[in-house]
Amino acid sequence: MEPLDIELEEGELELPAEPMHLNMGPSHPAMHGTVRIVLELSGETIVKADVQIGYLHRGFEKMCERGTWAQVFPYVDRLNYVSPMLNNVGYALAVEKLCGLAVPERCQWYRMALGELARISDHLTCDGAMAMELGAFTPFLWFIKAREMIWDILEEETGARLTHSFGRIGGMAKPPTPAFKDLCRAALPKILQLVEEGERMLLKNRIFIDRLENVGAISGKDAIALGWTGPSLRATGVAYDVRKAHPYLKYDEVDFDVPVGTRGDTLDRFLVRLGELRQSKRIIEQVLDRMPDEGPVNCDDPRVVLPDKDDVYTTIEGTIRHFKLIMEGAKVPRGEVYSYTEGGNGELGYYLVSDGTGTPYRVRIRPPCFQITGGLHKLLEGRMLSDIVPTFGSLNMIGGECDH
Amino acid sequence: MATFKLDGKPIPFEPGDTIIRAAHRQGIEIPHYCWHPGLSAPANCRMCLVEIQPKPGQRPLSLDVLQLDPATGEYKTVQKPKLQPACYTAAAEGMEILSDTSAHVTKARHDVQEFLLLNHPVDCPICDQAGECKLQDYWLEHQKTPKRMHDEPVHKPKGVVFGPTIVYDAERCVMCTRCIRFMAEVAKDPVLDMRERGNLNEITVSPGRQLDGHYTFMTEHVCPVGALTTKDFRFKARVWFLRTAASVCQGCATGCNAHLDYDPRYNRAYRYRPRDNEKVNKYWMCDEGMLTYKEAHEARVLDARVRGAATTTSKALDEVRAVFSGVAPESIAVVLSARYSLEDNWALRELGAVLLGSHNVFWTGRPDGYADDILIHKDKNSNTKGVLELAPSARPLQALVDDVRAGRITHVVALGASASVAADGLAAAKLVTIAAHEGPLTASATVVLPATSWAEHSGTYVNAKGMRQIADKALEPQGASAPAWRQVAEVARALGYEPSWTKLKQVRAQLLGTSPEAPASSPSAVGTASAE
Repeated sequence: MEPLDIELEEGELELPAEPMHLNMGPSHPAMHGTVRIVLELSGETIVKADVQIGYLHRGFEKMCERGTWAQVFPYVDRLNYVSPMLNNVGYALAVEKLCGLAVPERCQWYRMALGELARISDHLTCDGAMAMELGAFTPFLWFIKAREMIWDILEEETGARLTHSFGRIGGMAKPPTPAFKDLCRAALPKILQLVEEGERMLLKNRIFIDRLENVGAISGKDAIALGWTGPSLRATGVAYDVRKAHPYLKYDEVDFDVPVGTRGDTLDRFLVRLGELRQSKRIIEQVLDRMPDEGPVNCDDPRVVLPDKDDVYTTIEGTIRHFKLIMEGAKVPRGEVYSYTEGGNGELGYYLVSDGTGTPYRVRIRPPCFQITGGLHKLLEGRMLSDIVPTFGSLNMIGGECDH
Repeated sequence: MATFKLDGKPIPFEPGDTIIRAAHRQGIEIPHYCWHPGLSAPANCRMCLVEIQPKPGQRPLSLDVLQLDPATGEYKTVQKPKLQPACYTAAAEGMEILSDTSAHVTKARHDVQEFLLLNHPVDCPICDQAGECKLQDYWLEHQKTPKRMHDEPVHKPKGVVFGPTIVYDAERCVMCTRCIRFMAEVAKDPVLDMRERGNLNEITVSPGRQLDGHYTFMTEHVCPVGALTTKDFRFKARVWFLRTAASVCQGCATGCNAHLDYDPRYNRAYRYRPRDNEKVNKYWMCDEGMLTYKEAHEARVLDARVRGAATTTSKALDEVRAVFSGVAPESIAVVLSARYSLEDNWALRELGAVLLGSHNVFWTGRPDGYADDILIHKDKNSNTKGVLELAPSARPLQALVDDVRAGRITHVVALGASASVAADGLAAAKLVTIAAHEGPLTASATVVLPATSWAEHSGTYVNAKGMRQIADKALEPQGASAPAWRQVAEVARALGYEPSWTKLKQVRAQLLGTSPEAPASSPSAVGTASAE
């Protein structure tokens, strides 16, 4: 095109400089979990980012307060739906704390093994999806292939690939299958091999590193002030892990390290997750060595644990026990409890209030990514538009648990 | 007042009280099957055993028992306190009693419960009592252990028809004898008794008789387990789906307090249960009364009608306007009903006496019927006293019939369909009836407006003793029905008057002369804590 042959002052040629408003999401391929970021852009620079959550709000806390204590499990499956087993175990531990129950040793090991499998699947999904959103589709497929192996194991154990509803107050729905240990031992090296292959493709890729390094950085102090926990906090160098700081189950009896970052940027968050899934593998291997093959999985407390089906059908005592637990729900002692575990994204807390009936009086959930998403705008403001995708991806915001 | 100590807590008691009764009065439950606050105590279920500590210086009552020592596998003799039934032991000043805090008592309850379930069939899924069964509750509270006996349980007769209303299942029976004692002591008809002993023990009806009379349903309600079931409720509903409203029986002027159990999913009433009230019905109700829950659904007026043809309420009100236009107030009469609440009757009296300026106030209701000296009153209306308090000068229906025949009254607004005398004489008048049920006064009405029954709105009733009692709302209004006091307000509007009430609160305030903010009434006779 030829230049305009008009005499104009230099200044008059400038484009209008009002900030531009742009809606990123709620329906955007990179806004997984349905979240909206209202951006105020000056050119490609983000002046202001207003993160708006709530598009996946279902009122699950209120739904939990309608049924019995045991009927809460399917709801917590749908919090962080990439690692539902961690949510199941966390809720079971909270109710057991309120009841003053301790589950048998075998169950504690089993819960750890399943939970760490879920954690690997969570981290694989987060890192894989983030790479994919930056255009690296192949490593995503490899990470998901590795995740499939985990889900196959979980399917074998629980009957469901994603929403297991496998936790129970006072135990688990079923004991480990005879093949559980072999399945894990066979799958873990393969998973690690796939992770390493995918990792090599990414970490030797200049473009990938450039898009992550020093992007969305936050200091440890700021992260703590925002209430961050989990991999996003550890990426800043703060080695806070509930499993180490306040051990539950048998975490104080296994050896594992807490990987930390140094800069708190997107690359650190990516690397911390990769480090953690290796630690999870370490934990699972120790658990498999130490988990007894025999023995009860559920504690034998008739107030909360369902009887054997044989007893239900043939004896009146079993029928009554079943009836009371199903129709009225386990009577959890009056009181309140805050119980917290290390979820996929950080500290997953349950605050429960019981009025002594079979139905929870209050279920309040502290989802780790609620606080983390609350700090997203700080990471984005001043950065470029294209930095949103890796930064948001590295936080692993899950609408299911965030919106409540 | 004298006190004794139960688990360290002082319990006051009256002379003649047993331990269980004094504790019951304080709201402390000592587990029991056979004891009932309204019946004698046979002390046969052994569930209420408590440990009574010896007075200082007195030798303790104890037994030698053999106990297995798990360490050596040998039996050794140990001493165990002799436990006493709380339902039979008289309370005495300064007694120290251990109930929940005694390991011996806890064990005794566990063992008694285990024995009671020994031969119990696996019936919960098909048993009407499931969900409100003491065997279920006490298993969880006091036993919590699985079955130890693996022999075939003893089988006994099932589905034994005791009479026109009651079916008996001997396998489920715990032989508490509450039904026997109820029939003998309250119904004064000792038609039930026990036969055989031990495993063969069962309840029977006297030879040549069946369980009939006016108080058979109560045997089912005193039964702590599912042994006795009523043919009426059997297999009709599962109790955990039912919700309960505190109601008042409409069967007669006694005004028995009752729980009206209904299923909110189907907006349907399923049964009446007696609600304890020491001043009215104690713990009991009669069969006829307990079956009146059916009136919430049977013979209901659900649509407005003009000369027998169903129509909408607004068209019916147009007809009311047309029929009443230009009629002199002195030829209009209102008929109050002893079967409707004070609120409904107050609204109609207001329309007649204040708005229309008519002094032609009449009252009617169902004719008298069977009576006994237990609960059943000869007056078959729930609110006769209330209507006569509201309108002391109201004349009986016969006077209205005479007035209509004489041509002094040409237009009538009536509440309710029942008539204490033959209502044929009203045919000459134009009749507007606001009613929940079909009856003589709806049959001959020019306009019928559907009212809600007692089950669908909160209403106040005055029983024969002059006690004001409130029956709570259970069901949602059925069909096009609305509370009668609201229908009266609509009629008033159709006649060109502005009624002084649009809400129940306003009706109650004007009815009782209190401000609308104050509690609508003080139902002194309503809602004592349910005991059983």
